Amino acid sequence: MARTDAPAARLPVLTRERRRILYACAAAVVLFLVGNVVRPGFASPASISAILVVASFVGMVAAGQTFVILIGGIDLSVPWVLNAAAILLATSSLGQDGRAAYALVLTLGMGAVVGLANGLAIALLGVPAVVMTLAMNGIMEGLTLGLSGGLTCASCASYAPPVVQAAIHGSLLGIPTALLLWLGVLLVVSVLLSLTVFGRSTYAIGNNARASFLAGVNVKAMTVALYMLSGFFSALAGVMLVGFGGQASLGMGDPYLFQSIAAVVIGGVYILGGRGHYVGAAAGAVTLVALVSVLLAMNMPEYGRSIIYGVIILVLLLLYGREEGEA
Amino acid sequence: MSLAESAGAGQPVPAIEGVGISRAFGGVRAVQDASFAALAGEVHALVGENGAGKSTLIKILGGRIRPDAGQVRVRGAAVLLNSPHDAHRLGAWTVFQELTLLPAMTVAENLLLGREPRGRLGLIDRRAMERDGEAMLAGLGIHHIDPLALVQDLPLAERQIVEIVRAITQDPSILFLDEPTSSLMEREVAWLFGQIRRLRAAGTAIVFTSHRWNEIVSIADRITVCRGGTNVGTFTEIGEDEAVTLMTGRRVGSQYPPRPPAPAGETALAVRNLSGEGVHDVSLELRKGEILGIGGLAGHGHRELFFMLFGAQQPTGGEIRLDGKPVRIASPRAAVRTGSGIALVPEDRKTEGLLLAMSVRDNMSLTILSRIASVGVIRQATEQRLCRGIMEMLKVRAAGLASPVGALSGGNQQKVLLGRWLLADCRTLLLYDVTRGVDAATKHEIYELMTRLAGEGRSIMFYSSDAEELAHQAHRVLVLREGRIAAELDGTGLTAEDIVAAAMRDRAA
Repeated sequence: MARTDAPAARLPVLTRERRRILYACAAAVVLFLVGNVVRPGFASPASISAILVVASFVGMVAAGQTFVILIGGIDLSVPWVLNAAAILLATSSLGQDGRAAYALVLTLGMGAVVGLANGLAIALLGVPAVVMTLAMNGIMEGLTLGLSGGLTCASCASYAPPVVQAAIHGSLLGIPTALLLWLGVLLVVSVLLSLTVFGRSTYAIGNNARASFLAGVNVKAMTVALYMLSGFFSALAGVMLVGFGGQASLGMGDPYLFQSIAAVVIGGVYILGGRGHYVGAAAGAVTLVALVSVLLAMNMPEYGRSIIYGVIILVLLLLYGREEGEA
Repeated sequence: MSLAESAGAGQPVPAIEGVGISRAFGGVRAVQDASFAALAGEVHALVGENGAGKSTLIKILGGRIRPDAGQVRVRGAAVLLNSPHDAHRLGAWTVFQELTLLPAMTVAENLLLGREPRGRLGLIDRRAMERDGEAMLAGLGIHHIDPLALVQDLPLAERQIVEIVRAITQDPSILFLDEPTSSLMEREVAWLFGQIRRLRAAGTAIVFTSHRWNEIVSIADRITVCRGGTNVGTFTEIGEDEAVTLMTGRRVGSQYPPRPPAPAGETALAVRNLSGEGVHDVSLELRKGEILGIGGLAGHGHRELFFMLFGAQQPTGGEIRLDGKPVRIASPRAAVRTGSGIALVPEDRKTEGLLLAMSVRDNMSLTILSRIASVGVIRQATEQRLCRGIMEMLKVRAAGLASPVGALSGGNQQKVLLGRWLLADCRTLLLYDVTRGVDAATKHEIYELMTRLAGEGRSIMFYSSDAEELAHQAHRVLVLREGRIAAELDGTGLTAEDIVAAAMRDRAA
């Protein structure tokens, strides 16, 4: 072999990050094809649309989770922020359309405020993200159960305002509103991450917080802002879910912690921060929901689905970890 | 067979030998068909530019990574080293360039890692551990490092010493030292060389790398020069110019560019009675166009002083004036935003400076993002153009602006960091040991750059662990001792010995 003096290798167009996003997308396509074999009609437009709508709820939570995981953090307060949001929307609106706007602002604001509290404790007091957000999840659970009286109060409604329900169930040009909303979020978050100072700073902090601080990046303010975004997106998912289901219930947020983290990991976001993109996490959300649907179509019982879930996450982490070592 | 035969041929069997070693990382050949041998009882220096393959070769011989091709022989027998542990069993110990101490553990715990004294029930005897750790340090003449201190609280130089102590107390028959002196001051280097001579007399084969030529000639019995991943010659006697020519494949002029005349201009930065953690009552003035050297032994407040001037650490008293106006620099962010633009290139470029997985462009533009953005969106074309300009000006050798900065050599990484602050048009540059672990050719480029920037009227304050460099580059040198300014030396006719003497004066008394 000829010796080259210039060791500078040509830069691949398909970087590791982009390759992973492609993997996640490819996995979703494969799952739809497999599903169609298991149960013909699985990949029909109507069925795909239904699966994507379910994925949009996971996708919303994953948006927030992506932000905090990109700086090496995590948000474990997702389940009860989401649940609290769903219940707050129902109870503050009393199920009336006239109070819907007020209730929406209040609910999304609540999510952001909880995120603010998480962010302040993590950035200013130095509480580890795992501890802070786990504690916050507990606090939100207690507050929600206590203040809602376990949803046993007869006079206060536990239904979302009809206008919210109609909005989530509606469609524009044949595309469900929930999906349109998700596409909008996908676009905004992608622009934010790829093209703005905010996005670049996020990646910088995730790569090396100390070096970012010494380069003049406002690490604390960014951290707080990112946790606020995570709280906001959890609340938004809660609003969408209560609008979709019509009624709020206790424990409805529980699956979303695992699913949001799984979507982010499947989408190739590096779990320790600094690398990855929301496009991947969104593809990961679709893959995850498609997987569940395929398993359901195969009449796989609940416990079997759980096991397969866990195994897939482990295998992906192992594969990605191996790739890490190559570099 | 081999022992008797080679002895008969008059060729001593090398203590350790690599034959035809090759190793690539992701398509880049770090070592290519390199051969190297060290004899028992010799000090063998490996020299070459960054990227010449020295560190990779040492990692292969020390069992840290496996070669793609070639053979490693220990005392004549071919061996397979799958881990450092395999090498340790054969008596080969390595002090790697990247320190491997556990930061959250004490000095004693680190020294005795894997050989902790056991008490009853096989549990670790903590008291014995402290005692043994202290005895180990004291036995090697080190009294200023507390065995109970956490490694993360030690300055870099002391961490390096602990790392060295850990290796040499294993009674190695083969010892690799990869740039052991880059963070050490003269006195500590003298200590290390004393230890090396003792081990050599005891028959240990010692292999070490360094970028400092005077150190190499003062201790090495033989010198092997590497270039482009392979060995290009082994010598018992070779001049610096000849070695540099071999290392670079071209002839390099004098290492230091001529110093521009000392400016008499206005004061850019004035510090009055600055005090805080590690710094006591420091006053200094930095003129426009001046290169002010800061010298002294490691751990005497240099780092703290630089951090305070950059807002990364808060002083408890004193005053800082920029262009005559008093300023309070609350954070690095504030420093970046002050009109005069203070920049800090920190001590450890990998942990404090760079975003290793991100691109050259991302690393360069980080501090000016808000200036080249409209409503928060980065103007890509502007960013690309500005970064390309700086990259060309500094002759950064990388495949492109999109290359991850972690893939560049140390010298080029340092250029990217300097480029970051030049892009921000900083007028006052605080450079902390910027040539540490940088090869001779790149060092020369950095010196030239400093001279040029000073010529443009920028002010440079730079700390270096290499007194030689301070003596040649600075208009004036301030020597810090125990956080105070111990001496102010004029640059004209200054020698490294003057600086070292000023740094240690009180110790002798």
